[in-house]
Amino acid sequence: MHIPDGFISPKVYIPLYGISAGLWAYGLRKIKKKLNEQAIPFVASLTAFCFVAMMIAIPLPGGTTAHVTSVALLAVVFDIWTAFLSVSLVLFINAVLFGNGGITTLPVNALGIGFIGSVVAFYTFKTLSRWKKTVALFAAGWLSINISALAIAVVLGVQPLMGRSEDGSPLFFPFGLSVTIPALIIPHLLIGIGEGILTVVVYKFLERTFSEIFHER
Amino acid sequence: MFRFIFALFFLLSTATLCWSHDLQYEVANANVIVLNFFYKDNSKFSYEGYEVYAPEEKIPFQVGRTDKLGRMTLLPDRQGIWRIKIFSKDGHGLDFTIEVGKDRVLKQTQKPLFARYLNIFVGLGIILGLFGILKLFFRKKDS
Repeated sequence: MHIPDGFISPKVYIPLYGISAGLWAYGLRKIKKKLNEQAIPFVASLTAFCFVAMMIAIPLPGGTTAHVTSVALLAVVFDIWTAFLSVSLVLFINAVLFGNGGITTLPVNALGIGFIGSVVAFYTFKTLSRWKKTVALFAAGWLSINISALAIAVVLGVQPLMGRSEDGSPLFFPFGLSVTIPALIIPHLLIGIGEGILTVVVYKFLERTFSEIFHER
Repeated sequence: MFRFIFALFFLLSTATLCWSHDLQYEVANANVIVLNFFYKDNSKFSYEGYEVYAPEEKIPFQVGRTDKLGRMTLLPDRQGIWRIKIFSKDGHGLDFTIEVGKDRVLKQTQKPLFARYLNIFVGLGIILGLFGILKLFFRKKDS
């Protein structure tokens, strides 16, 4: 799901850099007030977990691969801003050091996967946990990765409208929404199941083993 | 005259027998798979022995030594997983496989274990290091 460099028009990524920078600054201010020395090892561990989760490619029918993100886990264990900043850090390291995802596309990936994913997971969990916690956790994982995939698909799918060369060929990502939406959503409907299970299992484990994280919130 | 013809026939017939011991050669260009061996400091793994095993074979398809620049070439005769063992007398070596596809071209190489997981370890190190610094910062602030 990480979009590489060259796929997105500057008309899109420059404004998104502005929005991301604002959200990063706001998020840092928010978590600075909440974060304390005891919480840092937990945030570090789950950020590291998120990084590893994104590096493991899961084979899917049809020969393609996808990966879970654990964004929902970060959002439900901590909050939207901690999750957004942690995922942004993971995406930055992936882009700068390993070439997974791009530098110009960092805000697209950070907003799509990190911000939208965290917001969806956090509010899904908050709404459904009053009814049944396990279902809420699974839904948070499943929905967050699918809504993120949809957001990325929309950004990719509008790129043919952003610029064409003299011969009429698209300058950036060449496929429209009718291709990008099914191409991203269909595999993520399956991957979402993995993301949901991961969110439930790891959350329950943390709740049982490290209950202090939840008391500090 | 008969003796001369007989002698000529005898010489010609024995000469053809000698041809079977005469090594011939052909020179041609071909697409080969080139394997390059080197140490981490980029020094070459020169003149070291190797064995190459064709898919499902126990007897080596090819044995030899790397060249001065630490290279070996392979011209496979079939597709499948080929095993390469290379070793020096001081115990350095590798044992890995490559996948040869249709048209006998390189399809996939089995990466060394460290190369497969290096990115994960480096990334983890950076993330945990950054949070370690953040923890020290908070400790200093609290004290």
